[in-house]
Amino acid sequence: MSEKTIAQINEDLLRPVLQTTRRFWIAMLFLGSIVAAAVGAFLYQVWNGIGVWGINRPVFWAFDITNFVFWIGISHAGTLISAILRIANATWRRPVTRCAEVITVFALMIGGIFPIIHLGRPWLFFWMVPYPSERQIWPQLRSPLAWDFFAIGTYLSGSLIFLSYPMIPDLALVRDKVTGWRKKLYTVLALGWRGTPKQWHRLETGMHIMAVVIIPVAVSVHTIVSWDFAMAPVPMWHSTIFGPYFVAGAIFSGIAGLIIAMAFLRKVLGLEEYLLPIHFDYLGKLLLMMCLIWAYFVFSERLTVWYGNESAEMAVFWSTQRGAFAPMFWTMVFCNFIIPFPLLAIKRIRNTITGVVIASWAIVVGMWLERFLIIVPSLSHKYLPYAFGSYRPTWVEITILVGSNAAMGLLYILFSKFVPIIAIWELKVGSHKPVFVRKQVTVIRESGGTDPIAAEPGLLTTDI
Amino acid sequence: MARKWGMVVDLDRCTGCEACVVACRAENNVPTVGEDQAARGRAIHWIRVERYWEGEFPDVRLKFRPILCQQCDSAPCEPTCPTYASHHTSEGLNAQIYNRCIGTRYCANACPYSVRFFNFYNPVWDKPFHLQLNPDVSVREVGVMEKCTFCVQRIQAAEIQADAEKRGLKDGEFNPACVQTCPPKAMVFGDLNDPESEVARLARSNRATKLLGELGTKPNVTYFEAESWEE
Amino acid sequence: MERRNFLKVAAITGATTALDHCGHPDHQLIRFIPEEDLTPGVAEWKPSVCTMCPAGCGLLVRVMEGDAEVVRNGQVGLMRMGLAKKLEGNPNHPINQGKLCPRGQAGLQVTYHPDRLAHPLKRSGPRGSGQFQEISWGEAITQLVGRLAPLRSANQSASLAFVTKPIRGRRRDLMEQFLKAFGAPPGISFEAFDEAVLRRANQLSFGRPQMPTLDLARTNYIIVFGADFLGTWNSPVAQSVGYGVMRQGRAGSRGKFVMVEPRMSQTGANADEWVPARMGAEGVLALGLAHVILNQKLRPAGDMSRAGSLIKGWGEGLPEYTPQAVESRTGIPAATVTRLAREMASHAPAMAIIGGPPLAQTNGLASALAVNALTALLGSVEKPGGLLFTPLLSSSPIAEEGSRASLASFAQIQTLLEKAPGIQALLLCDANPVFSCPRSAGVREALEKIPFIASFGNFIDETSVLADLILPDHSSLESWQDNVPESGAPEGVVSLAPPALHPLHTTRAMPDVLLEVAHQLGGPMATALPFKTLEDMLRTTYGGLGGGKKHDPKEDAAAWDKIKADGGWWSAQVQPSAPLLNPVSHPPIAMTEPEFDGAEVDFPLHFLPCASQMLLDGSLAHLPWLQETPDPVSTVMWGTWVEINPKTAGQKGIKQGDVVEVKSQHGSLRAPALISPGIGPGTVAMPVGQGHEHFGRYASGRGANPLAILAPMIEPETGALAWAATRVKISRVGEGRLALFAGGLRAHPQDEGQR
Repeated sequence: MSEKTIAQINEDLLRPVLQTTRRFWIAMLFLGSIVAAAVGAFLYQVWNGIGVWGINRPVFWAFDITNFVFWIGISHAGTLISAILRIANATWRRPVTRCAEVITVFALMIGGIFPIIHLGRPWLFFWMVPYPSERQIWPQLRSPLAWDFFAIGTYLSGSLIFLSYPMIPDLALVRDKVTGWRKKLYTVLALGWRGTPKQWHRLETGMHIMAVVIIPVAVSVHTIVSWDFAMAPVPMWHSTIFGPYFVAGAIFSGIAGLIIAMAFLRKVLGLEEYLLPIHFDYLGKLLLMMCLIWAYFVFSERLTVWYGNESAEMAVFWSTQRGAFAPMFWTMVFCNFIIPFPLLAIKRIRNTITGVVIASWAIVVGMWLERFLIIVPSLSHKYLPYAFGSYRPTWVEITILVGSNAAMGLLYILFSKFVPIIAIWELKVGSHKPVFVRKQVTVIRESGGTDPIAAEPGLLTTDI
Repeated sequence: MARKWGMVVDLDRCTGCEACVVACRAENNVPTVGEDQAARGRAIHWIRVERYWEGEFPDVRLKFRPILCQQCDSAPCEPTCPTYASHHTSEGLNAQIYNRCIGTRYCANACPYSVRFFNFYNPVWDKPFHLQLNPDVSVREVGVMEKCTFCVQRIQAAEIQADAEKRGLKDGEFNPACVQTCPPKAMVFGDLNDPESEVARLARSNRATKLLGELGTKPNVTYFEAESWEE
Repeated sequence: MERRNFLKVAAITGATTALDHCGHPDHQLIRFIPEEDLTPGVAEWKPSVCTMCPAGCGLLVRVMEGDAEVVRNGQVGLMRMGLAKKLEGNPNHPINQGKLCPRGQAGLQVTYHPDRLAHPLKRSGPRGSGQFQEISWGEAITQLVGRLAPLRSANQSASLAFVTKPIRGRRRDLMEQFLKAFGAPPGISFEAFDEAVLRRANQLSFGRPQMPTLDLARTNYIIVFGADFLGTWNSPVAQSVGYGVMRQGRAGSRGKFVMVEPRMSQTGANADEWVPARMGAEGVLALGLAHVILNQKLRPAGDMSRAGSLIKGWGEGLPEYTPQAVESRTGIPAATVTRLAREMASHAPAMAIIGGPPLAQTNGLASALAVNALTALLGSVEKPGGLLFTPLLSSSPIAEEGSRASLASFAQIQTLLEKAPGIQALLLCDANPVFSCPRSAGVREALEKIPFIASFGNFIDETSVLADLILPDHSSLESWQDNVPESGAPEGVVSLAPPALHPLHTTRAMPDVLLEVAHQLGGPMATALPFKTLEDMLRTTYGGLGGGKKHDPKEDAAAWDKIKADGGWWSAQVQPSAPLLNPVSHPPIAMTEPEFDGAEVDFPLHFLPCASQMLLDGSLAHLPWLQETPDPVSTVMWGTWVEINPKTAGQKGIKQGDVVEVKSQHGSLRAPALISPGIGPGTVAMPVGQGHEHFGRYASGRGANPLAILAPMIEPETGALAWAATRVKISRVGEGRLALFAGGLRAHPQDEGQR
């Protein structure tokens, strides 16, 4: 990265927050109307019943749970980038962390709404919350759906902390740069950040703890989501591979989602100097690794099913290989492996942002298809062939799906309007090597005397 | 000893007439959904008669099997319900508690027998069909799962009556609607824990099989496979 | 304090408003005084008789009190009344022994049907437009009397016709006595799948113009030619009860069931052996079996049975019916013929039964006689484990009953149509020949010209829509039931029950209306029918039953009460009130080749209409429970289908659900295709029941009616419609949809390429 002055960094990264372009309003209007349409579709569904969807007996879950798993999957971007790379001290992560953490939080929120949306009686969703009801009845804790509630709740609160904690220095920065109602807002949001060494210390410690804690939470979340399927005796659901398979798939789709978001921001917010090809290259390498891992899991699972030749499982298997779901299946293979693998493996392509972004788009589509293909073919072909069925979505489900994507965009853009999307302080820290200084700090006593206090070793100093 | 309700279905007697399907609908206020919804896979038949073809014309066979909730001892639908709507009773039934159901439909996915049905819309009875509704069975609203209950309202009515008369239940004193109407008497119902009951006696027969028993659901419906004729 | 009050007020207002609109229509409804005394929450079980098919099973009706919106004296209001909640078989009734078929269970929907006619109507628009206006009963009866009286006074009594669905017992007697006293010809009994051919054959073979009763519970072997005896034929519940015993009700003994049919039916699915003989060649197969038995002397020769003597060549051992000859005529291997013959001869008691499609051929009577002869040869006529005949208790001589019953419906309708130009008045009671007859017969066109048509049925259908006057009967649960079942029990049965329910609508019992009309017409009519109501008539004629011959009024009263409480009276001691018919002399019949309408080169496929397990002959298509119950074989709901063999479908590029056009020489129809392994490449089958134009909201405009495109082929001796003798061609029209309940076709998915 070219050497930039602090002032330049501030100006570049605060511009989206401080200035509102017309493009922003158009985006808000466009995405907002799609989201409004989706909300309308949902209300239509609540009023009339789930019958307005395409689900039926036996395919009782389709788009609803596909979306749920997909969005929870996308949410794993943040964890990997922020937490794992932080612990591994990979400094290239710095401009990217907040982009990733924001995806996590919003993807979790959107994903977490789908369990409410998919209910037959969504107004009773709060029965999933363990509260002392007057009927003295609690959620049934043996159910993977109850585990979902706790897992996603934990992950969401953890991610919120993980996101908002390191936001504080940047919010303070904005606070110092704005006036009027904005100053009041950011003063509140900044929580009294002064940039003292103690505060920095707390921040770093907190981030380190969260980074360590959030990783098992993230792994457990998507494992638990996968158990929504694996715990049920449904052909090709009841598989031990689902835990790691889903986590791998989640990270896979998460990174792809992150790359897309970054590419978008880079263009729209003029962050070409900050989100560099090298970032895309490194993320591309991670994506390549996940692609191989994902392919390995899919291959293992399908090989063992095919070899085992168990009757009920084979009905599902063939329906995806050459039956009604074959076009979708092969599209998925194309999107998740055949397109991305060469794009990411060939260094020259991986070094172009376009190449990596194309691969990412393919992967995001492919991963949505993968979720769909896990759910619907199995439900269409359970144990009794008389009860086989099929599925076709209706406009309500499609609207809600499109709306969820629009909601992601909407929330993301809104966020970048209020908070610098690239962690400014992290960037600055990264541009200066950490230095161990024994500095003399002079404290002026009230009484008028002075006391030298030796600075703590290892304390970072920055000019702010 | 607590009662344990069970059934035996003799496929050699079953003729596939589907009297049980209509009787159940009449007894349990099961709604009809109309052609369009039926074509889209939303028809509700708490008991259904599955049919399977074997072979090709002219060496073709057709086999019937009535399937209803198996009231499994180890029901996969029970642990999956997050709100206890699918719940095991002390008399061995899998109860569906309508007002506890929030409609996640997980139970329906978990059930290997596909015996669970969902109310995709609010059920409708064109007046005056509603006059026929059985007051002993609640009508389910949109978003709620439903399935065969072994006519639990008849079980309860019989138990209440027997308690009031200070006596035990007699085997065969009452039956679910399907069992009662079945013309070839293919279905037998009773207390599996009563060794003298007909159903317990039949369940010990060497003709007894369990549908999808290998999945470990421990169903309480026993099937006798159809026999073949020997000279 | 303020807030609490506010919440209270809001809650109460909200609740009241909500309650006001819950279950209460917008206008205030008055409440009528209940007509009966019922305990809330306690069910009464009342006997009745099922009228969904002619079998006449005994019912128990679960009656509980509830609020119904009714019209009394022109005013709408709420009435607490007994409501039918569930139907069960009457455990004591000898025919169904406590069991009930799906159609019987659905009978509940008739009484509470939204399309049920609730009050008398007068036609207000062009005939057949379905436009009617409400009138009072007084007006209706006056109008009816006003149309009938002039016919009598002008000596045109014979220009009155009465077409009814088959009914037996006092209700029928009343009708016939009405017509006789009026001077009109006897009533016409019409149903789509009448078995006049079988009754005629039974009359010739056994002296019994009557449907047979099968003693399945004690049989060891039954070979069935076409009769859907576990589904829709004859007395299905009684037969199913017996079948259950035949299979697993006797320790160590399990009877064999062989089914001979061209298309796998619900009944045929249960067979131990399924024999797809060529259509129209069933009689040949029966004679082939008889040939083996006769020639190998597998049964004691005995006297030449009367049934056998009706078959040409019987005395010589049926030389033309060697197994090889039979194979070439039926398509069944000679070895199979020989084996089956040996089996049935060595597993007495054994019987052979025929019904349905084989009789609906031009050679149907010959086939029936052949099968009867086979049963007689097996020694199973009127023997345990064989073919029985229910003793008939009837006040009218059995000859009359029998000759009535063996007149083919179609022949009677054709006679009516010939006379139609001279018919001045037509009375209809639940018969629908416009729907059930081939369109080429021109029933609608002929009936339309009749100056006056009145209908007593509960519903508007294709025939009653032509009426000028509607005088709706009560539903069966609201009526006195009396029935003398023709078959289904080894003992004589009279089903009799008072109404289980008070009438919901402003309807009147048809017999009572006829009695009123007779009374108003006066003269010999009033004398012939001196009863005020059907109940009076029943009481008078049945009161002495079972109470001995003493006619002690008290004994009679007690007997009457018992009959009412039991839902009827039955006894093995019943002697038919008339002797058996003397043997009718009839020349021996040769098995002729069946004739089919349509040259094979133009119309390559046999067309097989099948009675639908749920909709029967279409008369039950208005009941949504039956529409939505999946057909046992196809699993189709709410629709028609054309059953096609996979090879035939493949040749024509027809996929599952595609709309195909089925064309005969006399019409065409369109329906979705169902690819089925249960039918041969040279045949297509369709269920009967859909294709209604005027039959309420659930049946109208739905599906196609295969009966409409049939050729008017007949069995020559009885004049019965040979409804299985039409040939058709099919072609693909476009994409379509079937509401199938089933997903997969086979138990092992690998066995099927596509669904």
